[in-house]
Amino acid sequence: MKINSPYIIVFLFIPGCWFIGQGLYIESKAILAQHLLEQAWEKTKTGKNQYKPWPWADTWPIARLTVPRLDIDLIVLAGDRGRTLAFGPGHNLASALPGANGNSLISAHRDTHFEFLQHLQPGEQIFIETAQAGTQTFTVTSTRTVDMDNARFIDDSSSSYVHLVTCFPFGSVIPGGSQRYIVSAALQITTQ
Amino acid sequence: MLSLNTNFFKRRTRREYLHDSYKPQKSFLATWLLRFVIFLLLVIFGLLIFLFSNIAFADTHNSKFPNIEINNVSEGSLLIKSEIPGQYQQIPLLNTNVDIKVSGMLARSHIKQHFKNTSDKWIEAVYVFPLPETAAVDHLRMHIGERFIEGVIQEKQVAKRTYEKAKREGKKAALVEQQRPNLFTNSVANIAPGESIIVEIEYQQTLHYEQGHFSLRFPMAITPRYIPGAAINESISLNGTGWARNTDQVIDASQITPPVHTGENKISPVSINIVLNPGFPLSLLTSRYHNIIKQQHNEIFHVSLENGVTPSDRDFELVWTPQVNHIPKAAVFHEQINGENYQMFLIAPPESNGYNTQPLAKEVTYIIDTSGSMHGISLAQAKQSLLLALDSLRLHDKFNIIQFNSITDQLFSTAQIASFKNILIAKQYINNLQADGGTEMAPALNLALKKNSERNFVHQVIFLTDGSVGNETALFDIIHKKLGNSRLFTIGIGSAPNSYFMRKAAQFGRGSFTYISNVNEVNEKMTSLFKKLESPLMTDIKIQFDDDIIAETWPKRIPDLYSGEPVILAIKSDKPLQQISLHGTRALAPWKAQLKLNNSKPSNGVGTFWARKKIAALMDSLHNGAKHQQVRTDILNVALTHHLVSKHTSLVAVDKTPSRPADSEPNKHAMPVNLPHGQHTAKTFGRLAQTATSAELNLIFGLTLLLLGIALTVLLRSSQPTFSINKKTP
Repeated sequence: MKINSPYIIVFLFIPGCWFIGQGLYIESKAILAQHLLEQAWEKTKTGKNQYKPWPWADTWPIARLTVPRLDIDLIVLAGDRGRTLAFGPGHNLASALPGANGNSLISAHRDTHFEFLQHLQPGEQIFIETAQAGTQTFTVTSTRTVDMDNARFIDDSSSSYVHLVTCFPFGSVIPGGSQRYIVSAALQITTQ
Repeated sequence: MLSLNTNFFKRRTRREYLHDSYKPQKSFLATWLLRFVIFLLLVIFGLLIFLFSNIAFADTHNSKFPNIEINNVSEGSLLIKSEIPGQYQQIPLLNTNVDIKVSGMLARSHIKQHFKNTSDKWIEAVYVFPLPETAAVDHLRMHIGERFIEGVIQEKQVAKRTYEKAKREGKKAALVEQQRPNLFTNSVANIAPGESIIVEIEYQQTLHYEQGHFSLRFPMAITPRYIPGAAINESISLNGTGWARNTDQVIDASQITPPVHTGENKISPVSINIVLNPGFPLSLLTSRYHNIIKQQHNEIFHVSLENGVTPSDRDFELVWTPQVNHIPKAAVFHEQINGENYQMFLIAPPESNGYNTQPLAKEVTYIIDTSGSMHGISLAQAKQSLLLALDSLRLHDKFNIIQFNSITDQLFSTAQIASFKNILIAKQYINNLQADGGTEMAPALNLALKKNSERNFVHQVIFLTDGSVGNETALFDIIHKKLGNSRLFTIGIGSAPNSYFMRKAAQFGRGSFTYISNVNEVNEKMTSLFKKLESPLMTDIKIQFDDDIIAETWPKRIPDLYSGEPVILAIKSDKPLQQISLHGTRALAPWKAQLKLNNSKPSNGVGTFWARKKIAALMDSLHNGAKHQQVRTDILNVALTHHLVSKHTSLVAVDKTPSRPADSEPNKHAMPVNLPHGQHTAKTFGRLAQTATSAELNLIFGLTLLLLGIALTVLLRSSQPTFSINKKTP
């Protein structure tokens, strides 16, 4: 019954490899891109221009997000479209810049860059470096789960907040879904 | 996927059949049975894959997007809607009745807004509502039970103080302010628990007349405006009730962004009744976006909505066409007020026969708005229009496409010839456009209007947008300053485009404006636009009076006319006019028209029309370097004389006696408005990103497939000997 092996190859092995490839591609894109982004970020930080991490990119780095306790070091990109989020956390262009007064929204995938959000606790510190303000410290004020239709944020334009957003529940394999996990952090004012 | 499977199977079997043709009959049957079983298995499996990947796909794409209203909370606390159930239940109810009387070129409308306070507290209601951009609001009446109080016109700040004082003293009061020429606010103070108050607003608008069609547009929805710029910190609140903060680019953002009702059911129903006296027999009377009931009594038509009321989520437009031999070529109306003579002229130059004799090659830049508010049917309309526009290009024309949302992108780095290949590339680009993000219009306009060196081309910019921005003035400034030899044509897209933006942008761009609110209209409206783009312009239009006449005419400089457009003038003169003459040039040929005014019809509202035209012209003069202070004084003069609401004047009505007990403060309520038909809250207001990938799902799925493959192979290997023996038997 040799005739069956081609079918198995065509209908099971090839799609199988394809799906695995797709999965690995998404994961590796997320890891590799961060390295290219790091170089673009180093340039962005020093100059005033936006440096694209690769010539055809439709985004550029705007900030660096670090959480030393969890060994997290990520470059945040401009915009939070799906295309952008494949490479790194994305900043919602309609929201304030991190460190500027108002609400700043940064989103990333729960299964790649923002998997660590589940380990963040209120009171913990996260650091965000921008070209404008240097490194600033934010203290986590709350973590919560919301339905995205009901997500609302404090209206306070005199202080600065950063909201890290990812899908909820963690570990779920089916993408989509309407629940979001939000870690909110307030800028720590350094009194000098 | 399925059809591919079966094809493959057929091809294989035929070849296998030839190859195995020496096999004996007996095993042949068994082999076929096994093949059939495996085939079935594979088909089922294929189907499963197909279904599964589709489910995952649908899930990522159809899932409801979120709605972040970052600035929508006034209490300054973290709020989740579900924690305050029925947030909107306390909001007062609103019904609107609209009565419109049309005669000649003018329409007079009475809008009755019924506010009902359903709460057990005293309230103040603030309602932001749209009106036609040519609206001259001149009356306000507040009905309390059987009584009514007539509003007075006051300077804006004075009116505001009058209102605030009445509110503090517990008197009922209403204040109508203009935020934009097509956007007004009505504040009503001290509505008792359970009480209803009717605020009646009266305005006049000019009909739109073009290519033999009259139309009347009544806007009912506001597409949420995009507010560019950085929020300003203010110590003094400007009393706005909107979802946006004032920014350095839109200093009154909080007053033009009413909260948006996002529930399932639409709110604020509107009833419309129109009495139309066209003055000539009609060949057509229709409503573009609503079903209507028409009744005719002699020459007068009564139009009302088929369902009685409609939710206020899209603009209403009534269109009528005179019978061919009754199409007006010219019309004159006059009115005398306090010894002043006001006249309104309409002259439609004869259609030029045919197209430009020597059409110059064009360089056309298409700008398409792909911001979040365009998501859905609006983008579909825009894409359709754009595709059609590309087909109208000729080979020697050049073109480029610019899209903008939060960022600006162009198809080619410089305009390219309309070759077959380039058109194909462009069409692909258009089909791939998606709407999301902000509405940063300025960079796109700057890009489209940047200096061109190509002298031998006619430069045209076609701008498709819903105009949902709050920084209109800044944009008009860009158009005015950078236009050069280009012409800008606006196409207003969607259920509720910003009519003020469309009209003014086209005016400063020396082009024309069109509305497309339905995919079915794309063909008709675009064809008419192409005709305009191709036909020769009427230019250098000048008006001449008799020598002894002192007249003030608006607009001062008569704009160029596109095919099918009439000249409409407002004139104030010291003596009644006997005759006027108009001169112009079209396709190098002079045009002249002389009008005898013996049969001028007296008509109410001509004075108001003149005053409104003057205010519009004064506002425009700011872009030509007129001094703010001077313009303000001039507007105050004309607006106060003619009882008109303007940027610097408001109508206010105050009850004589206080009704609210001194110990209860009224709660301020911003009246929510509907999101226009076909729009999505999430896309319009931004969204939380899609934050899960299908990586894991893919991995699991892939592994399952591989394992199954291995299992099957092993299974088949173990069953192979049986068949080998069979083969050897003969």
